[in-house]
Amino acid sequence: MGKKKDYNRMGYLFVLPFVIVFLIFSVYPVLRTLYLSFTDYKGYGTENFVGMANYIRVINDKFFWQALWNTIKIWSVNIVLQIGLAFILTLIFSDIKYRFRGLSVFRAIFYLPNLIAATSVSFLFKTLLDWRFGTFNQMLMEAGLIDMPINWLGATTTAPIVIAVIGAWMWFGNSFIVLMAGVQGISTEYFEAAAIDGAGRWAVFKNITIPLLKPILIYISITSLIGGLQMFDLPFLMSGGVDGAPSGSLQTVVMYLYKFGFVTNQVGYAAAIAYVLFLIILVISILQLKVFNKKED
Amino acid sequence: MKQFKKLMAVLLVGSLALVGCGSSGSSDSSSSSSDSSGSADKIVVWTLAQDLEQFGKKFSEDTGIDVETVVIAPADYLTKVQSALLGGATEPDVIVAEPQMLATMYDAGFFEDLNQEPYNAQQYSDLIVDYVWEVGQDDDGIQRAISYQITPAGMFYRRDIAMDVYGTDDPEFISTLFKDYPTIYNTAIELRDAGYRIFASDGEMGVFAGDDAWVVDGVLNLSQARIDYMDLAVALYQDDLTAYASQWSAPWYQAMKGEVPILTAETNVWDSDAVAETAANSGTTEIFAFGLPSWGVLTLRDNTDETFGLWGVAEGPSSGFAGGSFIGINSNSKKKDTAWEFVKYCTLDADVMEWWIDISKGDTVAHIPTLEKYSDVENENFGGQQLYQFWLEQAQEIDYSVVTQYDTAIGNAWGDAINSVKIGEKTKEDAINYFYDVVASTYPQIQINR
Repeated sequence: MGKKKDYNRMGYLFVLPFVIVFLIFSVYPVLRTLYLSFTDYKGYGTENFVGMANYIRVINDKFFWQALWNTIKIWSVNIVLQIGLAFILTLIFSDIKYRFRGLSVFRAIFYLPNLIAATSVSFLFKTLLDWRFGTFNQMLMEAGLIDMPINWLGATTTAPIVIAVIGAWMWFGNSFIVLMAGVQGISTEYFEAAAIDGAGRWAVFKNITIPLLKPILIYISITSLIGGLQMFDLPFLMSGGVDGAPSGSLQTVVMYLYKFGFVTNQVGYAAAIAYVLFLIILVISILQLKVFNKKED
Repeated sequence: MKQFKKLMAVLLVGSLALVGCGSSGSSDSSSSSSDSSGSADKIVVWTLAQDLEQFGKKFSEDTGIDVETVVIAPADYLTKVQSALLGGATEPDVIVAEPQMLATMYDAGFFEDLNQEPYNAQQYSDLIVDYVWEVGQDDDGIQRAISYQITPAGMFYRRDIAMDVYGTDDPEFISTLFKDYPTIYNTAIELRDAGYRIFASDGEMGVFAGDDAWVVDGVLNLSQARIDYMDLAVALYQDDLTAYASQWSAPWYQAMKGEVPILTAETNVWDSDAVAETAANSGTTEIFAFGLPSWGVLTLRDNTDETFGLWGVAEGPSSGFAGGSFIGINSNSKKKDTAWEFVKYCTLDADVMEWWIDISKGDTVAHIPTLEKYSDVENENFGGQQLYQFWLEQAQEIDYSVVTQYDTAIGNAWGDAINSVKIGEKTKEDAINYFYDVVASTYPQIQINR
């Protein structure tokens, strides 16, 4: 009995390093940010308690809601392309009839864009998509697909779509790996039985693959939602600043938060934006879980 | 086994504590250089300007005091300084900042009061150009930082084109061509009719900040001059009066060298037929002027090639300045005396200022005795024009009271508004209303009279 007690105590000591790091670098900042959201803290000096003023300002700030709408627009296009492409590739690579070889090579190739720094990606695409001198416009012109060069990053209609497509290119490899792992976790007996029964590809996909991939799909949808609503680096770098040019169409919520936290020294307001964003993500995640679980019922 | 587990656990916790308490001095990814003169004393300088590395080396050579200069990318600089100094760091001993950062850093108390003993900086005020001295003061007029350079704006122009079109290349006459925005538009038309273009880009007047503050007594001040500026930028773009180059782009630098093809906003540079047709109809052109701060002398020196020696500098539509490195002492530093010696060395020592003019190949210092000493020096790239005299006069025109802490954010919003009108995305009225909305959202405390 005494031995077991000692063993447990040793366990606490082993987890202590993580707990200390977690408390200092995760719990404390979260609680400190909550506190700051009720103050007029500028990033230095003393902070004064202002009650709910920052939250009321967020609710009434049309540019916050515009930034949220921009984020959702970019994320929606991005997620459809990202998951759609990953799904198609998963179906192709997991089909027992095709029996593709070199999966590990393709997996590495698909994942490669994820390893390139966002700064390099943005520089690359800014060069390729330059209005007057970009290779992409040049190719389209020479192929006779367009008559005039398109200002991809300068027009409010095309810029968000460009960001969404680049994001999908960067991240589809990650979704592909997760989906492939999910599909490979499904027993091949189901697919073999379906093949013997004469089920077509669509029937197998609809009745076997999708239902058994559900936990993976829930994981991907929630993590991509959280990541998508926190989108920052790519639109920030592609638009060249926190204002999300052209005409604020690339300004995401986190860029808006950054503007107040690090450009205009309104840290209290930035903290309130962070918490409102947290609540929005929380509510949407709960709704997502409910929708998935309801379908299961 | 039990003893082993206990030992491991203690080691893990101990190592974590050591990591937590350890120095973070070597983890900075920024480039750094250090002199190893073997001196007993050493100061650390954090800067976003590479210049300070050269000043640090010379200071070490002359005094025997070691200087470690850490150069940090401008985008990260303020965040790094804030993180360190808010945590009470005693290093760096010397901090450097650009004008747009200074208000925040003064407000945060990062800079030492240089008016107090033993510094008594006010005794040196007559040695430094007025606007630079004022930029180095906080809202209470306390001296916090000093700069070694002035950066007033000027209109750099081609003397040969001026002779061709106007029959004179006199800077005083050329200044009249740029005296206000309506006149600049007329000048642009005259030059286009003569086969030239006034500017390579439509952003050449951006450096002339204007004579009005963005915020006056807590009220947003969208003056008529600002609206005139918007009208001019839009007209220059829409009436094919520029070469459609972006500032600092390759075509913009090319325009300094000589001929560039005449394009319109609609010219498709990838359609060889369209380019050939445009070239056949319009040919090539040359660019008359570039609006730049005083360090534009160095930009032109490095990029003019065939047009070297053909340039002059005239006054723009208003005064303005851009950039400048301001040096001060970290208020937490434990080596303030040495840090003050370094600040004085970089900004107030006449010999060092002359050394800097020589080694920088033409930077314009803020030290008035040195500027006056060099006022007769003629610059061969500028037709023998006495540039130090010109910059000193321009610097004396700068009214620093029009600079506010809101300028960066409001200026960016105004730039976006101009751009949206220029490319036809918004009407002027819609763009101005949108600008008001952005300012109201960013700074609720500013009153806006629409």
